[in-house]
Amino acid sequence: MRLACVYVPQLALQAALRRSPEAREAPSALVAAQGKSKPRVVELCAAARGAGVRPGMTAAQAAAACPGLRLFTATAADAEAGAAALADVGYAFAPRVERDGERIYFAADDLGRLYPDGERTIAQAVQAHAARLGFGARVAIAPGKGSARVATRAHELAVVPAERAAARAFLAPLPISFFTDDGELSAAFRRWGTRTAGAVAALPPSAVALRLGPAGAAVARLSRAEDDEPFLPQLPPDALEEAVELDYPIYEIEPLAFVLRGLCDRALERLAGRSLACAGLTLRLSLDPRGLDVREVPLAAPTREAKTMVELVRLDLARRPPEAAVRGVHLIALPARVRATQLDILRPAGPAPNRLAATLARLGALVGPENVGTPAAVDSWREEAIAMQAYPLGGGAPGTAPGGEPGLCLRHRRPPEEIEVLMERDGPAALRGAETTARVLIAAGPYRLSGEWWRGDPGDPAGTGSWAREYWDVHASDGAVYRLHRDGRSGRFYLDGYYD
Amino acid sequence: MSVRALDLVRDPEIAREISAHLVSLERLGEARGRRATGLPALDALLGGGWPRAALSEISGRRSSGRTAIVRAALAAAIAAGETTALIDVGGTLDARAATGVAAAAAGPALLWIRCVAAQALKAVDLVVAAGGFGVVALDLCDARLRLPDAAWVRLRHAARAQGTTVLVATSARRLGAFAAAAVELGGAPAFDTDGPPLFTGLDVRVSRVRAISPQQRHEDQSPCASLAFTSRS
Repeated sequence: MRLACVYVPQLALQAALRRSPEAREAPSALVAAQGKSKPRVVELCAAARGAGVRPGMTAAQAAAACPGLRLFTATAADAEAGAAALADVGYAFAPRVERDGERIYFAADDLGRLYPDGERTIAQAVQAHAARLGFGARVAIAPGKGSARVATRAHELAVVPAERAAARAFLAPLPISFFTDDGELSAAFRRWGTRTAGAVAALPPSAVALRLGPAGAAVARLSRAEDDEPFLPQLPPDALEEAVELDYPIYEIEPLAFVLRGLCDRALERLAGRSLACAGLTLRLSLDPRGLDVREVPLAAPTREAKTMVELVRLDLARRPPEAAVRGVHLIALPARVRATQLDILRPAGPAPNRLAATLARLGALVGPENVGTPAAVDSWREEAIAMQAYPLGGGAPGTAPGGEPGLCLRHRRPPEEIEVLMERDGPAALRGAETTARVLIAAGPYRLSGEWWRGDPGDPAGTGSWAREYWDVHASDGAVYRLHRDGRSGRFYLDGYYD
Repeated sequence: MSVRALDLVRDPEIAREISAHLVSLERLGEARGRRATGLPALDALLGGGWPRAALSEISGRRSSGRTAIVRAALAAAIAAGETTALIDVGGTLDARAATGVAAAAAGPALLWIRCVAAQALKAVDLVVAAGGFGVVALDLCDARLRLPDAAWVRLRHAARAQGTTVLVATSARRLGAFAAAAVELGGAPAFDTDGPPLFTGLDVRVSRVRAISPQQRHEDQSPCASLAFTSRS
């Protein structure tokens, strides 16, 4: 089995840098507070180290040592999002991934079909994808987890041979400190004069086990390229999460939308790596000083457009603003696969599914998702009743020609508009509404309709309760033929619309 | 595919399906650039139907048959397997008419967008730019909105690029020279007055005010047609 290992040194700092990509070129460091003590540097980049910054310095000391230093505060949100994004590097190439702190492992056996030029090309592709997600990563492909882990410590990009003898030769010159995180164990090997894996591999295994115990024996086995660590992969989580904790609370929607744009960009980049789109959003806003605002933002169709997602969230926030300032944003994106559809040889090709999905999402952002779809019948005798159902993204069976002569259409007012009607013995004689004032030339009716009496409580004309109406078709002096009704209970008149 | 080639298809059902879609070269030439309106009299008036890849305008006052003509065009396009969209300002779609259109659409259904007048142009831009839509209807019948010429220029360009027929229904002519075809409607309601009055439908007179091509304008001396939309209820 060939395993790929992706190692992101100083993952916490790199995770913080994902939300400030412009700071990657500058010296940067991550500070964290231990208890009530001052925040101290816990991770730093090579440029900061070169300028004299060291772990354990306070923020003031670090800033004094390196004037241009960018300091980031360690947050749980960054760490979680960074670890999940690292896992997504693996999920872009394999269905299952093992997560292990700053490293991930995944099987690379079948990737040879996609990258026939060799395993080095695979490693380069993985490294390039990690860079797209904001990580400077080291990648190695090896016969086992242990040798892959050691190779990432020693090289930016490495391919450990599959044959044991060749793998042993590959590992032999590497320092023994790369093989274990235990400093005392490394020191013990150094005291014996065995500083490289080759020297340790030459020692009798039983003697090493006798003197250094199981940990020492495991290091000795690994130095002989006897890699027996089990590979424990996991399936990807159902939802994809990105989060940010803000340095100061945000009170307005526009700055919040700016923060959301970054989150959406990063989430979509991760989804794109897995050939997925976002089918739904859940937003958890941490309020200041306490409280949580959880809202679901429906998408009309799976999309890969951050602009559309931000627009939908912005509309939702404008419709229902948070009750307090926001100090943290947690975005949960629901992944969905955009499926290809089979075209019909005899029918015109419709919109491309991906473009249609993006268009539906953008239309949803423009007019509201509840206003985009396809008409659906409602189980009601109310004339104005109609429902909207989701527009099918996939193609279906071909349509059939509608039969019969062309019918008349009624343009509905929803809800029906209350109007004043002058009634005479034969029916309506004049009507007056917000947009119409006219004499009635001919009135046809009344047509009495009632329904939904089983619902019990009588409701208003636009409601859902029982109803009883007298309908009239009237030819008005403005030339139009209106449909109006008188509510049987209230006696009020309502304009349903006009024929057109 | 010639008739002899069609004979080679052994399954009679498949042969029937294919032959239903075969058209003669002459008819193909005539129909190129046109899309059936769903109303034979209107097809004849427009020289084959609504122009493809262009804007067309249907204008008229209330109860002049604008909505029925738009619905007929959408139903015809859906029956031909096209994907269609309706940008419905005010959400006035008739449930029974919609059900009729949906019945014709076992496959690609009608994309229905309810919006206010200010969003209509942006919505139609998005739909046309998506590509693949055969007919897109913009219902501005009750909209009180003044649109700049640049909007129509942009929409015409998009329709041309995507091969989409864009039908704009208005209360008065708005598109001017931006429409490749335009009809004005005048309707009169029909009542059966033998007994108590009964509304039976609309008699619509269609006047072609903008021809698709100058040649057609000269050939046809009486650019009018009559349509009847009957009430089925």
